Amino acid sequence: MPDFGSFRGFSEKLAQGQTPTQLGSIGSFVFGFDADALAFFNRVTTAGGSLSDTEKTAVNTLVVQMKADGTWSLMKAIYPMVGASAAACSRNLKSDDFNGSFSTGWTFASTGVNGNGTSAFMNTNYIQNNDTSVSTNDFHQSVYINNFVSGAAIQGVFDPPAGECLIIPLRSGNLTMNSNNLTDVNVANAISLGHFVCARYQLNSLQYYISGVSKLSTTNTPSSVKSSLNYYLGLLNNNGTANFGSASRIAFSTIGQGLTPTQVSNFYTAVQAFQTTLSRQV
Amino acid sequence: MIGYILTPEQYEQVQGQYFATDIFFNCVADINGVWFLMLSQQDIVIIAPTSWVWVLTLPQGEYTPPPPPPLP
Repeated sequence: MPDFGSFRGFSEKLAQGQTPTQLGSIGSFVFGFDADALAFFNRVTTAGGSLSDTEKTAVNTLVVQMKADGTWSLMKAIYPMVGASAAACSRNLKSDDFNGSFSTGWTFASTGVNGNGTSAFMNTNYIQNNDTSVSTNDFHQSVYINNFVSGAAIQGVFDPPAGECLIIPLRSGNLTMNSNNLTDVNVANAISLGHFVCARYQLNSLQYYISGVSKLSTTNTPSSVKSSLNYYLGLLNNNGTANFGSASRIAFSTIGQGLTPTQVSNFYTAVQAFQTTLSRQV
Repeated sequence: MIGYILTPEQYEQVQGQYFATDIFFNCVADINGVWFLMLSQQDIVIIAPTSWVWVLTLPQGEYTPPPPPPLP
């Protein structure tokens, strides 16, 4: 078999001097996957999970679109909740950092992940204060909910010196989100499903969005202190105790730098296309 | 919500322990301070063939949550 260098047949064994990365390049070339998407697929496999071809295609398209939109680089953790297992759903799409771990009480499905709202949480292992890419004026949290169960925080952390960072999609007729402040800001709301984004992208400014639509843009001064506690999904990390949770189904979640209104709009479009490919959109 | 009831000693044995690569036990106390372990059906399937199978033989009861403190 002729030696085509980096284009050796995929089924051929490595020759002396070749490295596994060359096979990785071949895999990416043969199947056309983005390198970061492929790395995520490998993380899922290594963790003992598996993804369908449809899920891989959806993830790859999402990554490519987010890179084109300029939102990929702003993410620190992306949990696409694909693979219907703890091994798969705990993996961070963005990088090998902040792979999470699930407590007991979750149900995993192709449509997303459901906690029980009482004891079930995912520890993202993300600590805001350890993330030099964000500040309390440059931060976002997002979650896509496609099945709502009344409750409290679907994700977040409360660390008293840093205030709260959390998302409560619908409680007592309000959308409640917070980003490094001790005082929640509520907005009258009746929407329980969709893509919820809480973002700070400029000084002393706070924005809420549901499915790309602005629900709040206000002056709000955050704490100067970033949280030193782990960010949880499913329950709030309430100063070290996991509670105030929700059993709503999570189909996507992100943490990262702040997003401008245009970036939020593009982000929603990409996420909605992702969910639609997986037939779990709302 | 139905959960498995643990003694304080059993709580110390399981709390935070991993029974699968990415899944750990998390217990919660009820209104009387009794420890409960709420398992999904998927948790039960994973636990059954492991050395943690004994938790599936614990007595079960209705979990009554303690009054929630005000949202911070």
